[in-house]
Amino acid sequence: MSADDRHAFPDPEVAAHIRMTRRNLLRLTVAGAAAAGVGTVLSACGVSSSPSPTAGGSGSGGKPSFAAGTTINADYMKSGTYDKAAEAIAPVFEQVTGGNIKISTNAWADLNKQNVTDLVTGTGQFDVMSGEWWIVDGFPYLLPLDDYVKRDNFGGDYIPNLFQPGPSNFYQGKRIGVPFSADCITVIYNSELFKNAGVEPKWDNWDDFIATMDSLKGKLPSGVYPHVFQFGAPEQPGSLFLAAYGGTLIASDNTYKVERDKALRALDVIKRLVDYGPPNAKSLSIDEATAVFLQGNAAALLSWPSFVRTVADDPSQSKVVGKWAVGSLPGPGFPLLSCWNHFISKQSKNPDLAWEWIKTYSNVDNGTEFMLKYGVGSPYDATYTGPEASKHAYDWPQCGKNLARAKPVPYSNDVWQLLYNNIGDFLTGSATADEVIDRWHAGWAKYEVPPSLIESAVGQGLKAS
Amino acid sequence: MAHADPLGGGSRRREGLWLAGFSVPALLLVVGVQLFPFLYSAFLAVQDWSLLRSPQPKGFAGVDNFLWVLADPVFQVSVRNSVMITGVSVVAEVVLGILLAYLTSGSTWRLRAIRTVLILPMVIAPVAAGTLWRMLLNTQSGLVAVLSGTTGLPSPEWLSDPAWARIAVIMLDVWQWTPFVMLVVVAGLAGIPGEVLVAAAIDGATRWQSFWRVELPLLMPVILVAVMFRTLDSLLSLDSVYSLTAGGPGYSTHTITYYIYNLGLRNFDFGVAAAASWMFMAFTTVVIVVMFRLHRRVDVA
Repeated sequence: MSADDRHAFPDPEVAAHIRMTRRNLLRLTVAGAAAAGVGTVLSACGVSSSPSPTAGGSGSGGKPSFAAGTTINADYMKSGTYDKAAEAIAPVFEQVTGGNIKISTNAWADLNKQNVTDLVTGTGQFDVMSGEWWIVDGFPYLLPLDDYVKRDNFGGDYIPNLFQPGPSNFYQGKRIGVPFSADCITVIYNSELFKNAGVEPKWDNWDDFIATMDSLKGKLPSGVYPHVFQFGAPEQPGSLFLAAYGGTLIASDNTYKVERDKALRALDVIKRLVDYGPPNAKSLSIDEATAVFLQGNAAALLSWPSFVRTVADDPSQSKVVGKWAVGSLPGPGFPLLSCWNHFISKQSKNPDLAWEWIKTYSNVDNGTEFMLKYGVGSPYDATYTGPEASKHAYDWPQCGKNLARAKPVPYSNDVWQLLYNNIGDFLTGSATADEVIDRWHAGWAKYEVPPSLIESAVGQGLKAS
Repeated sequence: MAHADPLGGGSRRREGLWLAGFSVPALLLVVGVQLFPFLYSAFLAVQDWSLLRSPQPKGFAGVDNFLWVLADPVFQVSVRNSVMITGVSVVAEVVLGILLAYLTSGSTWRLRAIRTVLILPMVIAPVAAGTLWRMLLNTQSGLVAVLSGTTGLPSPEWLSDPAWARIAVIMLDVWQWTPFVMLVVVAGLAGIPGEVLVAAAIDGATRWQSFWRVELPLLMPVILVAVMFRTLDSLLSLDSVYSLTAGGPGYSTHTITYYIYNLGLRNFDFGVAAAASWMFMAFTTVVIVVMFRLHRRVDVA
């Protein structure tokens, strides 16, 4: 963001945040007055008080608390969601703190590469980074945040499980990440198609779900399919496997292993699901599968609500406005959780300002705001139970329930790749289910489970005792 | 009688200093940007270093990394895919390139314009070309599927069927790089003396005999150069696979470069990735040596 941009008249998106600025300024004034009062008392008692520039989140009296020109660089996935949200609040942050922020964006595949390279080489290009379990290679180079969290009493608003190891990233027992989004794969359905077919959108497990799809098959209009899934996006069938599996992912001897019987059943579920999708089901990418649902050509979509909600409610892009709802994901497995964390690099020269940015971005108000505007799943409890949730009764409350049972995988990137690529071979008929499991175990035997992921697996109940 | 040295000893030293002054910076640059990474990758290839396990190399690993790669079934699949995709692509490009060269050789403005249009795919970044083809082959709304639907032809599952996905990668390579072969052959054709062809005609050679017995042997050196460039380039290609199929479905379009990319830049398994790179380099060196030998033999003939 150039200096000109910062001083330009805010666009409507930014202007919407000005009310937040006013509120923040009011808070800061009150906080500043309180700090000044405490300072006076402490001085009177002979106690030297030289508060950190970030104490309480800003300087006294709402004045900028960081030296002009202090700049941090934060990176986000180029997705029109997290990055847009960051760009929208940047002017507010700069106004309140007096520091500057540069938002960098990268496509997902490049983001991890950029982050890890930056961390390992000690370049220090990014102060604030965004990612989750797949950045595990860079964990040793990230700043522990426990002191900041404790000092600012940060974290009380999250959905409880999201602030625990796993969804929140930890390294050697110390917190290195705090979540700023949460989403999990689930079933999104077209209530009108279900109603017209006389079928209840209700299921507890995958057998129920497949039976429901079977009931729909003969009752839907021509060209409309019971469900659609992004089988063509290489890593996505992995999330379907986890949803159908229900076993442990790490054996008692701390090696990667699945329970064969449960894994065989899960692979069978995946294969059976293909039959209820469109004829080109196996080639559909995330966008293509979403488009099938939005055009009203599928009764159910297995996907991530954050990819769907803003477009599904837009009449220019969707034929299901007012007709879609979020359902629960069948068991016995778990909905794969995508829980983006903010991190601070140990190389950051301005970690205090970086923490201020994290706090500015990650709070209940913004969580709800970003969910409304950009479809970003909020990690905060209040979003799903607050007044705004009642206006989105077809979506938010169920999403909140889904998030409460969602889990991240305790996998590094190489282990995850082995999982989903072999499922890909299974779907194309290049490998049988037994061969897939043999390949997993043979491939995974080469990898040690990093201690931080064992910690995560134990916390999520995904490690055999 | 001793001749006076036109350049005295002092002048020669000065000239040497000047030469060194000009060449040493360039040499240092080459050492910095080529030799150092080259040697460092050799060092990494014998180190036990995965970023996931340790922020520093954990120590000397001997040939373990090489054995790890050789035993990895994904590597074996990747080698098979690379050889198959490169082999079929290069043969198709050479045949089509020669055909197009004959159709478009000449210096009229129309032929020059046609050649200009034909080389357009070459100037598209491979990653953009891959994305473009991904859209074209989209089974739902891609142009290929739509045209198939209109004409009543069945449209295969281009990117979700292993065989068709490999064909899609080959098609992309052929579409983008056949014009390169065409350009090389057009240049070669321009270098064939007209008298040779006239002599062949006077001797009673048919058009086919003239092509097969006269022009093709004369073109062979340039064709071999094109084959060498295309073979290396196709083996080294990563971006088209990355953007078109992401190596899938499953492992069906994993190539060696995609395999190395995954090991090194997605999984940060530096030791194993460096070992795989050295094995790949050894393989491509053998390919180059074979090509050069063939080239020399053709030149001599």
